Amino acid sequence: MTILLPAVHAREIELHGESAYPEEGAGLLLGSIEDGGLRRVHRTLPLPNRWEDEARARRYRIDPIDLLEAEETAEQDGLTILGIYHSHPDHPAHPSAFDLERALPFYTYLITEVRSAAAVESRAWRLAEDRGSFEEEGLTVVADQKEHR
Amino acid sequence: MSLVRIPTPLRPYTEGKKEVEASGPTVIAVLEDLAGRYPSLRPHLFNGEGRLRPYVNVFVNDLDIRGLEGEATALDATDRLMIVPSIAGGSGPESLRPVDHAALRTNQAVIIGLLVAAFVADAPLLAAIVAALMLWGSVRGRPAFVGIYQLLRRTGRIRPDTLPDNPEPHRFAQLLGGLVLSVGSLAFALGAPDAGWALTAVVAALAGINLFAGVCVGCMSYYWMARFHVPGFSKSPPPGTIPGRRPTG
Repeated sequence: MTILLPAVHAREIELHGESAYPEEGAGLLLGSIEDGGLRRVHRTLPLPNRWEDEARARRYRIDPIDLLEAEETAEQDGLTILGIYHSHPDHPAHPSAFDLERALPFYTYLITEVRSAAAVESRAWRLAEDRGSFEEEGLTVVADQKEHR
Repeated sequence: MSLVRIPTPLRPYTEGKKEVEASGPTVIAVLEDLAGRYPSLRPHLFNGEGRLRPYVNVFVNDLDIRGLEGEATALDATDRLMIVPSIAGGSGPESLRPVDHAALRTNQAVIIGLLVAAFVADAPLLAAIVAALMLWGSVRGRPAFVGIYQLLRRTGRIRPDTLPDNPEPHRFAQLLGGLVLSVGSLAFALGAPDAGWALTAVVAALAGINLFAGVCVGCMSYYWMARFHVPGFSKSPPPGTIPGRRPTG
């Protein structure tokens, strides 16, 4: 269970978390699934944090309409939404109980810890089949390469 | 039969199909029928109590059912349903609570005053009493000298300074101070007054740094332990706050 993240996209995700600080920033990971289930990110898609009230420092929400549009765009480009990235301002890159309650299967949840507006570390997680916990997914930042699909 | 569009993350449970058929007179009936056809899909649509999970949004012919009649929205066979997840999460259900920093500062000032008085009067017993009160306060989850603060408040000499914060690190800081001071008292009892006064000075100095510089070293240790996932240390500093510093409010 591994996801390959080109360095340029790893940096984009960090920058998004840093610029959203002290709120949470979130977006989608678009890419492909190769033989053996290896996931490769081709593109990131930052999305607005639609959480309604003042709690955006502790919460994020991606609107279903935004997701639907992203899913259609991805399909046109022959890509899949592999998962969601979001930042945890001043909080470890571990999924919270709230993340678990809201998690969907299949998606990679990439969490970036941002302390005082500086990204510290990113870790990837996937919901266990019994929905009881998250399992850590290998996150490998790879050298950038030419776009291929 | 209604056609139901399945979002990518749930397709592994519908044999990889993007659209499947299910039947029923209402939205909820169609979803129940769907879960009956694909049993492994059920736990991802419904929670343990049989209610739709919060991320499940349903659209009927591109209209959100929340703008229609919700789960009870009636359907006919030509309606097309879409299940679209709304993705949500965040760094935890924890919420900040009001913490009166004026009470904390009064507590620190009293602790410093009493410890200095103990040193000047060469009264280790007074330091031991402060240690006991700090430990007792930590057990009760309040500042040791909160009574003095309440008295000062009543006279109008001090105003509350309530900030959204975590009470636990402050409680831990007082516990830490009480423990160090207790070890100091033990040193006095064992006939090592130099060690006793040195530990007393450490506690007074840390209370001073907190009072005058707004840096709570005990809170800082709490947050570091939380960062390394030490059991019992779960809180994170309020957003935008350097661990151990006063919240910006």
